[in-house]
Amino acid sequence: MLLSKTLRSSTLKLAFIYVVAFCAAIFGLLGYVYWSTVTYLYEITDRAISADAALLTKAYEAGGREGLVTLINRRVTDVYFNDWVYLLADDSFDYVAGNLKSWPDLLRGDEGWRTLAPGAWQSEAARRLPVRVKQQLLPDGHHLLLGRDIEELDRFGQSVTIGLGSAAIIFLILAAAAGISTSRRSVARIEAINATSREIMRSGLGERIPLRGTGDEWDGLAENLNSMLDRIEELVETNRQVSDNVAHDLRTPLTRTRGRLERTCDQQLDLSHYRSLVNDTISDLDEILTTFSSLLRISQIEARDRTAAFRSTDLSEIVREVVELFEPAAEERAVRIQLSADKKVSVVGDRDLLFDAISNLVDNAIKHGGDRGEVRIAVMRGADGPVLSISDRGPGIPIEERSHVLRRFYRLERSRNRPGNGLGLSLVAAVANLHDADIVMADNSPGLRIELHFPIAQAAVPNMFDLQAQSSARGVHQS
Amino acid sequence: MPGYARHVLVIEDDAETAEQLVDCLKSSGYEVDLAVDGEDGLRRALAADYVAMTVDRMLPRIDGIEIIRRLREEGILTPALILSALGEVDDRVRGLRAGGDDYLVKPFAFREMLARVDALARRSGTMVKETILRIGDLEIDLLARIARRRGRGIELLPREFRLLAYLARNAGQVVSRTMLLQHVWDLHFDPTTNVIDVYVGRVRRKIDSGQEYPLIHTIRGIGFCLRAPE
Repeated sequence: MLLSKTLRSSTLKLAFIYVVAFCAAIFGLLGYVYWSTVTYLYEITDRAISADAALLTKAYEAGGREGLVTLINRRVTDVYFNDWVYLLADDSFDYVAGNLKSWPDLLRGDEGWRTLAPGAWQSEAARRLPVRVKQQLLPDGHHLLLGRDIEELDRFGQSVTIGLGSAAIIFLILAAAAGISTSRRSVARIEAINATSREIMRSGLGERIPLRGTGDEWDGLAENLNSMLDRIEELVETNRQVSDNVAHDLRTPLTRTRGRLERTCDQQLDLSHYRSLVNDTISDLDEILTTFSSLLRISQIEARDRTAAFRSTDLSEIVREVVELFEPAAEERAVRIQLSADKKVSVVGDRDLLFDAISNLVDNAIKHGGDRGEVRIAVMRGADGPVLSISDRGPGIPIEERSHVLRRFYRLERSRNRPGNGLGLSLVAAVANLHDADIVMADNSPGLRIELHFPIAQAAVPNMFDLQAQSSARGVHQS
Repeated sequence: MPGYARHVLVIEDDAETAEQLVDCLKSSGYEVDLAVDGEDGLRRALAADYVAMTVDRMLPRIDGIEIIRRLREEGILTPALILSALGEVDDRVRGLRAGGDDYLVKPFAFREMLARVDALARRSGTMVKETILRIGDLEIDLLARIARRRGRGIELLPREFRLLAYLARNAGQVVSRTMLLQHVWDLHFDPTTNVIDVYVGRVRRKIDSGQEYPLIHTIRGIGFCLRAPE
């Protein structure tokens, strides 16, 4: 399976194209080297033959036919010249002197250069080798043939051919092997990722792609995919928890309502009774719907694209508006709200969501801060970024419960009987998370101090930032 | 013209919801046309002159937002209330950007829906450019930002004045808590606490205490109404 995948892999195809292109280049280069070497060697041979021909001609001119024959005979017996051929023939191509016994038929009639294959010597048993020859017509009608054995030359050419050829073949094999192993490697890594994906589709989100620890791009890809899977698993887990809670928190009031309607159906009541029952049922249903939309809203905030509706907003301004909205409610409970806010604390965010979240915190502080209490609210341009802090003087939240109160539907034991759905702080958490803000809960002894720490990057260079954010916000508005 | 003035178009594909919408609107005096799919709805909205329309977000054939977009392209500005079962956070923005005028998430209280259609229908009628509103013995000067009752000035915070002015512009009509949050605070979410009631309570104390008759009334389960006795 891996093999067939390797053969179909795109890396292999690419490697193959490289090998072909490289081979073409290598063959071109080696071919040129071969051709130029062999040409050069032939040239040298020809030059030596020409030089000796010139000597022989000179001997002929000086000593006539006798002088030439003497020189030829000397050449034939000279060891140094034993790979040479000489033949002097008369005008009817009959033997006069030299180490060839007869004039080859092929050569009769033309002058100049020839290369003779071994077969050209019909009757010469001795000459089985290729020879490079030059023939000349002497002034008195004699024919002179001289040449040199070029077997060495040919052998050299052959060994160059063999050398270059085997180098090319070895290179081809190496390139093909490298191509296949590269493709196999990438196919194997991809296959590992595929196998994990299939495993996930089959059995669930528990699987992770194995890392090799090489820190290469494959590990990088695997790491990213793994963290993506972590995030998905986390979301699925949250979803599961929520559905469990929804099932519980919606079923209970629905069952109650249904029971009431069923009982009513069986009884004979007067009209005003019916009316009050219907009104109670409607307000029960309204409560369920409120819980339901709060849940939806939290999920939507969690699933939201961070930057969609974000613009630079003044946290102090929002807090002031929230305080103004809640002032009558605080007065009613004789709670005093004390606000101290730095001027212009910029936060990049969504005004609606921030307002909603801060409303929830202020509402909690007023409700749980005890009657005749005091709620202190501070907005600071802290060193690590904008900080909003809200403290009350109520009973606070026990340390061991602080990590749970942000969960959906979680309610402290003592507030189970009060109105509320346990979703307020979940919404705050979702909004804070969307804004990259941290929630810190501390003891106000007595009471609770809850703080939102916004990231510093958003508050940097407030003036420039504001201008840009405002102009881009305006741009969005117009479109 | 008055015959037309109360004509409302309902585009809704769910038969039972459609029937309830039509009943509810008819019983408060509107004439109602019903379209059960997007194509039919678009045709009717293009053909006749309505004071307002309610458009379901998800419709067969042509989607609710698409209907509004095409109407606006044709230059038809009939105020549209989008009724959507989709989540509000992002979809509201999409709906309003396409040219919708108001947005209500299903399930909704019919009284809330009615209050919003009333507000839209009024807007499409003669746009009142008055700068002084009078309800009973209450007088609101929108330019000078002063409220008087029986000639005596009432001190209001800026936000309280905006709230009173909004109630006065919709005098005689029910205004929901969400509508108040939207128009007075420019916030787009449903209040989950009674904070709006308490806030209106304070305004009511300033307006109504020590007077012959109350002007601000709480309408149970839905919101508030500013009206003088008949």
